[in-house]
Amino acid sequence: MKLKEGSFLWYLYLDKLYCLLSVRNVKVLVEYFHLLDVHHNNTLNDVLFYHFLRHVTKWNRSQITIVFNMLDWKAVGEIGFDQFYMLVCILLAQQNHLEEQFIFRHSRPVFELLDLEGQLRIGPENFHMYNFLFNIRNQELRELYHDFDITGDRYLNYKEFKLFTIFTWDKYQERQKAKKEKEEEKRKENEEKALFKKKRLSQINVSLSLI
Amino acid sequence: MEEKPFDASLGSPGSKISSPDTEVRNLWTEATLSQSKLNVPNACEDTDLEGSSVSSKTPHQRYNGKAGHDLNSGSLAWDDGDDQDNFKQEELDDHDHSLLELELRQGSSQGSHLEERDVDSKTESEISSSESLLNISNYAAHEAYWVEQQNRLPLPLMELMENEVLEILTEALQSYRSAIGWDHFLTKQLRESVKGLKRRQSKRLHL
Repeated sequence: MKLKEGSFLWYLYLDKLYCLLSVRNVKVLVEYFHLLDVHHNNTLNDVLFYHFLRHVTKWNRSQITIVFNMLDWKAVGEIGFDQFYMLVCILLAQQNHLEEQFIFRHSRPVFELLDLEGQLRIGPENFHMYNFLFNIRNQELRELYHDFDITGDRYLNYKEFKLFTIFTWDKYQERQKAKKEKEEEKRKENEEKALFKKKRLSQINVSLSLI
Repeated sequence: MEEKPFDASLGSPGSKISSPDTEVRNLWTEATLSQSKLNVPNACEDTDLEGSSVSSKTPHQRYNGKAGHDLNSGSLAWDDGDDQDNFKQEELDDHDHSLLELELRQGSSQGSHLEERDVDSKTESEISSSESLLNISNYAAHEAYWVEQQNRLPLPLMELMENEVLEILTEALQSYRSAIGWDHFLTKQLRESVKGLKRRQSKRLHL
């Protein structure tokens, strides 16, 4: 999912360590929220919320409805600023490929969002439903239930979910490290090639000058 | 779900947001009042009072005016309030530092004048006191100016936000019209907001 380029949210950014907005960004977001809050309730109803997400993302109606029901944790039919902030952080985490870090840093809130029925456990259907939000791939989902369902009840409680986030975060860091090392190797290879070419050229020039 | 994941809150729905404009206006009023004061010791006291009132107002002024909109504690709950504490502390430190500078400057200017010329000490002190009075009034006016500036968002950002919100609300208005009709009070409220944004947009375009 990519945010619409040039849109207001596109200019915001998360702190890369804690995956949260800075104070300045929050201030700006508050103003934006108040502009959208046309009925002066400090909330957005489902229609305003739908049009907002349609404007800034490429999600379809059913995805937007899923997100609305997920965030409307008080079931009042409206979204307050807390939930709006949460949504913006999730969108920005997706935009900047920080999903693993976001879930690691905020495992409790994410768990509570996924636990739609308040059973203090989440099943594979919860993950499937919110796959487009947190970008958890099917392969990872299978590993998740295979490796972390310690109790064996085909559901993850919070502790098991937390272990999963730690594991995913470690894997992500290893992937990043491997990627950096690969890039470094490639760069060195290119430099060596360029140096070798230079040497050859200079040798050819020397031999030509001798002739 | 028993617990709220995030604890940011703008207060209960339906409560009004107080404008920071009234508090900034108070600052400007205090700044102009300080210009009318002629007595140097009194002016110093006034500066201190203004400084303390500004420092107590500014952190609240930044996000909200009254209770019920505790955005500061809420939005920074995940940061453990570090940003806000640092921000508040920095504001107070900056303000105290600038007040201290002013008083030192005042003291040193007075002190240097008295040491150099004993004969014209009276006229010298009068000049320095009027200078310091000007400095105080300028400082107070500048303080209010900077506080006002810091509360405003940059104009290009406001423009971007308003243009985007206008597009969103225009589409939402169509949905309102088709779902609840043109005469419903919610549709009217939305229509008013859209009109207001369009008016602001046309003002900007014509400037």
